[in-house]
Amino acid sequence: MEAVWKVYRLFHYLKLIGIWISGAAVMVMMLLIVYDVVMRTVFSSSIRGGFEIIQNYMMPLVVFPGLAYVYSSGVLPKMDLLLDRFGPKVQKAIILLMIALELFVLALIVQFSWAFAMDGLSRGIAFPAAGTLYPLYPFFFLIPIAFGMIIIENVFILIRNLLEKKPSLLMEEPKQQVEDLL
Amino acid sequence: MDNLLVIGIILVMMIVLLLAGLYIHSVLLASGIIGLILLEGFGILPGLLGNEPFNRVASYTLTTIPLFVLMAQFILQSGLVQDIFYLVHKVSKGKNSLLGILTLIIGGMLGAVSGSGTATSASLGQVAIPELRKHGYSAPLAGAVAATGGSLSGIIPPSIILILYGVATETPVGSLFIGAFIPGILTMLVFIAVMLVYFQLGKNKQAALPSEALKQQAPEEKVPALRLIIASVIAVSIVFIIFGGIYTGVFTPTEAGAVGAFVGLIAAFLLGKVNVNFFKVSLIETVKLTGMVMIIMIGAQIFGRFVSLSLLPRRLIEWLEPIMDQPALVLIAISIVLFIMFMFIEGAAVILMSIPVLLPIIVELQVDTLWFGVFVAVICTIGLITPPVGLSVYAVAGVSGITPGSIFRLTTVFALVAMVVVTGLMIVFPGLATWLPNSM
Amino acid sequence: GGGAEGEETITLRAATGLSAQHAWWEASMVPWMERVEELTDGQVEFETFTGGELVSVPDEGDALQTGTVDVALVLPIYQPDQFPMAEVTMLPLNHSDTIIASNAWKNLLESEEELADGQTYTEMQFGDFKVFPVSTTQEYSISTTGHEFNTVSDIEGTSLRTPSRIHEIYASKTGINSVTMPAVEIYDALSRGTFEGAFYSIADWTGYGFQDLFTYTLTGINFGHFNAFIGMSQSRWDELPENVQEAMEQANDEIFEAGAQEWIDRAETIIPDNEENGGKFVEFNELDQEVQDHFNTGIEDTWTDYANLLEDNGLPGNDLVKMWRDLLIEEGGEVPDAIMDLE
Ligand code: NA
Ligand code: NA
Repeated sequence: MEAVWKVYRLFHYLKLIGIWISGAAVMVMMLLIVYDVVMRTVFSSSIRGGFEIIQNYMMPLVVFPGLAYVYSSGVLPKMDLLLDRFGPKVQKAIILLMIALELFVLALIVQFSWAFAMDGLSRGIAFPAAGTLYPLYPFFFLIPIAFGMIIIENVFILIRNLLEKKPSLLMEEPKQQVEDLL
Repeated sequence: MDNLLVIGIILVMMIVLLLAGLYIHSVLLASGIIGLILLEGFGILPGLLGNEPFNRVASYTLTTIPLFVLMAQFILQSGLVQDIFYLVHKVSKGKNSLLGILTLIIGGMLGAVSGSGTATSASLGQVAIPELRKHGYSAPLAGAVAATGGSLSGIIPPSIILILYGVATETPVGSLFIGAFIPGILTMLVFIAVMLVYFQLGKNKQAALPSEALKQQAPEEKVPALRLIIASVIAVSIVFIIFGGIYTGVFTPTEAGAVGAFVGLIAAFLLGKVNVNFFKVSLIETVKLTGMVMIIMIGAQIFGRFVSLSLLPRRLIEWLEPIMDQPALVLIAISIVLFIMFMFIEGAAVILMSIPVLLPIIVELQVDTLWFGVFVAVICTIGLITPPVGLSVYAVAGVSGITPGSIFRLTTVFALVAMVVVTGLMIVFPGLATWLPNSM
Repeated sequence: GGGAEGEETITLRAATGLSAQHAWWEASMVPWMERVEELTDGQVEFETFTGGELVSVPDEGDALQTGTVDVALVLPIYQPDQFPMAEVTMLPLNHSDTIIASNAWKNLLESEEELADGQTYTEMQFGDFKVFPVSTTQEYSISTTGHEFNTVSDIEGTSLRTPSRIHEIYASKTGINSVTMPAVEIYDALSRGTFEGAFYSIADWTGYGFQDLFTYTLTGINFGHFNAFIGMSQSRWDELPENVQEAMEQANDEIFEAGAQEWIDRAETIIPDNEENGGKFVEFNELDQEVQDHFNTGIEDTWTDYANLLEDNGLPGNDLVKMWRDLLIEEGGEVPDAIMDLE
């Protein structure tokens, strides 16, 4: 298990890079919209193509790079009423089944979103803004990457449950429940 | 496979998976994907699974979600709430019941700058509970006041619930915000009334107990008057800029998220709270909440495609046919179902998973979609304080150390009274939600 | 889906991202489906999904190709990266109406004339689709919440919502500030004065309640016609029995004109209502001559710019705009002299 944790640490850095990309994208998005509002109000001219660029570039950048970190942070809601009432053996069986189901669903999403991105690449999917075309397909690849990272997270969780006694749906318990809820 | 059989299988599967504790987004994804396979075979998946995640996220209107959350984070990290509460404490000196009322009003006002009920509850819990305890409120009542006050963010605009509803149903978000104003105030008044009853009951019980001892326990921290003035000016300015800006057309309700976050950042800067850690906490929490909402939205979208293809809404309308000429009855039935769903499931997820089924019924009933959005937001707000999944209560319990169970015992009563009074009044007088947006 | 046998019922999934009240759905697609059901004596049935319940605008074309739906209203102008030559019907004009433009659009789609590389227009743009032409929209106008165009400086810097790439070219040529935002937010933003107006067809106003907002509309100048077609994937089409194919063709011929007339009827009920609420419709040729010239120069520049844009991408832009011009003139449309002179 020690070796697994070591590899998991490395993977954690990858997730951190992701969340910082997302965080930076949030700031940039805020500034772009504020700038657009100011320009429109004061100089009655808006960023040409600003709306489309924010929608098609910034939103995917805000959501997808950080998604694996979000997944592993314990913030995603679930109903945990019954699980705790079972013994550890039953708990582990349920958790293994759930991980299997997650992996099945995630694998399908990765497969088809990858196919979608490759199709977009071959057709050169672009969006029109302010009279010109901006390439859109590179951003399609964010989806298989994001969900692929969640698959890796789930493989780690699967290994943890196979190697360790205590059943768990997360690799690491959130450090502070409060911080997460904030 | 026969549609009804598939719907039955998927419904059972959803309940089992929810109870087993699978993540909500995974429940939606798994049910949607397996339902689609059962209905149409594997061939239907490429066209729906490949593009939906990107198309769902790439939406300008949805920028409000990260940006309103960012605004709330900036404001919470700036310490503004603490300063305002200190002021409230000064104002209500000596009048204990007034302190509770003001806490709830502050909750409502915080709601006006924050889209997230959980975040507001947690910060209110941190600053208000010690004060309330000093002034004769039992621990559970103090917790309940903070939790219910914070939950008001769900209905008092801007509200992320209303944004999600607006996006899902193509109802103008600005009109939803305006429509939610009166029901939001009404919910707050109901909470105040229930709180006063509990406060009186508690006072009678411990009348003999001298409260002086409690009062002297914690020495008060002095906040400089200048800081208080700055804090009040900033707080008023934020509300003024957001609503003034929307109303005068300087920016749209969507853009208000960005402007609000920017103003929040300036406020934090003026209060001297901006440093590396400030950005780290604010941004990570924003991305976390946004990711949570978005991954559920993606799941709900794919589940929604299954719901559409299964023709479930059309079947439901057929089944409801005998009572479809009595909209009030259908609405009461819908609100009970929603109340139960909001008890168990996080609010945004409920909105996103129920809209594909409910909207066709609402349209068929010829009920105003704006009214229905506000109606759902009220029930959702109430769901933040009902057990077993009441995020506002958990947030307060987390920061205060009061057990969630003891808070829930009270908030359930707050919830039931608000449910009956506010939704009842809204059904009888639909104008409570539609009058303001129509007259503007 | 069903098989190819004569007696078996064929259920086709039909979809649009537009609302069920939209003229294209209500007055073209629905009558078409009903007629197909009649003509095939119930052999073909349709299961319908509107308002983005199953597919959103502009993903209908992709949904046809992936097999999510069997038949759909396709709006190719929204995807200039995939259908760069579809925007040709959005080119601004001096005169046309829904009937003129619809016939020209139908003729363009059905034209046997080689446009380039031995291919017709439809083969070049919509080769993967079986195309049933439906009417274009009514002509686009400029409408504002009160802003008037009395001098050239009234045009420059005015913020208008632009619905397509052609309008953005036109806006930049005439100094108009183009604004883009989601359709659901336009009402809010317009009513609070966030921007001044939009390029929009009058018949489409009611979809978002604009009849209560616009008080100044320029008529007698025409900012193009949005187009659409009822589409199927070529492979799905090929699977259908011959009698069904014939029924679909026949049904489309029968509903085409009434579908176009619907736009005119809708506009005719909206205009008096709007006038009663203080709305003003201003004739283009009553404007100051300098203002007219400014608008007209923009029209000419937009045609040449669009043609050049296509040529730069290796497409027959010059031939296409001339072909479109000729089809329009044939049906009774009018364009500025400089465009008549294009050779
Ligand atoms: Na709020
Ligand atoms: Na709840």
